[in-house]
Amino acid sequence: MISIRRRLLLWLFAGLTLSTAVAAVAVYLRARVEAQDLFDYQLQLMAAAFPRQGFGIAAAPPSEAADEDNVVVVQIWDASGAQLYLSRPGAAAPENTDLGFSTVASPGGSWRIYSAVVGDNVVQVSQPTRARDELAASLALRTMLPLLVLVPVLMMLSWVTVGRGLKPLNEVTSAVGRRSADDLEPLPDRSLPREVMPLVAALNRLLARLDQALSLQRSFIADAAHELRTPLTAVRLQTQIAERASSDAERTAAFAQLKSGTERAARLVEQLLALARTEPEATERALMAVSLGDVARQVVAAQAAIAEAKRVELGLSSDAAVNVQGDSEALRVMLGNLVDNAVRYTPSGGTVDVTVSRDGSHACVAITDTGPGIPPSARERVFDRFYRHQSGDAQGSGLGLAIVRRIAQRHGATIELADGPGGAGLKVVVRFAAG
Amino acid sequence: MRILLVEDDAMVGESVRHGLRQDGFAVDWVRDGRAAELALANEVYDALLLDLGLPRKEGLEVLKSLRHHHNGIPVLIVTARDAVADRVTGLDAGADDYLVKPFDLDELAARIRALLRRRAGRAASAIKVGALTLDPATRAVSYHGKPVQLSAREFALLGAFLDRPGAVLSREQLEEKLYGWGEEIESNAVEVHIHALRRKLGQEFIKNIRGVGYMVPRQP
Repeated sequence: MISIRRRLLLWLFAGLTLSTAVAAVAVYLRARVEAQDLFDYQLQLMAAAFPRQGFGIAAAPPSEAADEDNVVVVQIWDASGAQLYLSRPGAAAPENTDLGFSTVASPGGSWRIYSAVVGDNVVQVSQPTRARDELAASLALRTMLPLLVLVPVLMMLSWVTVGRGLKPLNEVTSAVGRRSADDLEPLPDRSLPREVMPLVAALNRLLARLDQALSLQRSFIADAAHELRTPLTAVRLQTQIAERASSDAERTAAFAQLKSGTERAARLVEQLLALARTEPEATERALMAVSLGDVARQVVAAQAAIAEAKRVELGLSSDAAVNVQGDSEALRVMLGNLVDNAVRYTPSGGTVDVTVSRDGSHACVAITDTGPGIPPSARERVFDRFYRHQSGDAQGSGLGLAIVRRIAQRHGATIELADGPGGAGLKVVVRFAAG
Repeated sequence: MRILLVEDDAMVGESVRHGLRQDGFAVDWVRDGRAAELALANEVYDALLLDLGLPRKEGLEVLKSLRHHHNGIPVLIVTARDAVADRVTGLDAGADDYLVKPFDLDELAARIRALLRRRAGRAASAIKVGALTLDPATRAVSYHGKPVQLSAREFALLGAFLDRPGAVLSREQLEEKLYGWGEEIESNAVEVHIHALRRKLGQEFIKNIRGVGYMVPRQP
């Protein structure tokens, strides 16, 4: 796992080390230039200090146990080129170089040399360059030392600061961790740093959405349980009446009642399942081209027997070439519910017409019936779950139109309720974008 | 005993009416709040079974206006709303009891009997008048310690008398106690049942108050 703190410290350490090294090199280079100037000036002064007159050959001073690094070798030649003087016979100083400054590499190391004509003689002062380098290096080291001490201090400070900076994040973590599954209150977002704020805000938005979805779910379950109570009450009572029956005729009648009661409960459960399957969260099948005419034909065929038994005239007029992008199974459920409603509420001798047509860029299915219709004031509410327009409607689950609306929404279709032809009955129009 | 049932669901209403009639109650059934108020205006009912989620007028509103007009009829709320808050609201609005769906037919009948018993100011289930004991729960009747076999109508008729010993009940009042709407009343049904009761319990048990009706006298 990536640790922000560890990563930060790693980068900080690398950065500090690198910049310290760069600073050391820079100090060293700069110090060397300064040392060069200083030592060169010294050499110049030294050369100028020799007498201008010719002088005889002096005995060379005895060779000391010289500090090899910090030696200056002086050589003097006369005009003829004979060496008059050599300050340290043992030193491997180069000879006979050009006048002025020069740097000469020799097997014993590199030398800085200054040659000048003093009077009749040529004076050459040589010094190993190592002395300058060492001076520069020690200068650089001295500059770097405080920096090197600073690195661990900075690291410590960063460790603490990063820890303190991450504290709000830890607090949010433990606040989330302490939550029980049903506690969806927003997290406290006061006095949070700007970096943590968006995370908490996003979490709170998620919590709010979850809360909303959960309360919808809860109210749906409560509604469903409530709605199941009524058919179950009927079944329970019908069972008791069947148990009490004292004659065969009574028993037969009671069982017929019981059967219709269980059918009603089963239908409600089926519709609840259908509704659950159309929940937006349910795995969605891909939409593909579906012929509305085919779906309508299947639905009308399935309902024909019921309509016939009720003596309701059920018919379809279909424009064959009307396709929509859809889920054919869902569309069958939707049209099935609409046609079922129309047949159910249309009295004997009435008519239910299903029409599939193309209307400009739209595909339309219209279901018209000659039933009692729905007054405009109730047309919005009939789509609510468990709303029943007619009181005591024992067959309706109160879910049919809720399912219809769900499926229409999934297909981007609109549903319109209007008066039937001649102001009587009901006309339901479902309008799809044609595909 | 005549009961008004207010229930908007066809299947439940049908079953409750059927079951309570088997238990010897006369049951009238209406499906919405307004119809309930119209029926209650007759004041012939011994108890009211009230659903809460009713079309046209909510059950609680019916109950409140009933109590507002000082109608003391025993009310049993029968509903799918089971939350404690709903029960409290219902009882505080003036209901005498609260039964949550789905319920048992026997329990419903027992609760109705309990309501009627409390209304009559009795603590024990069995009713005693002189040597006669009638237990509405077991539907057993004994006279001088010996069991008496009664038909459902005879039992209901005797129950109506024993509910208010000493009160004179007219033929119409007795018919109302025996028959719900839509039940066919034979022209001299009450006389026939009283005759049968007298045969089983003795001529003097039910007194005939000429021009007014019948009475079972209060006995020590």
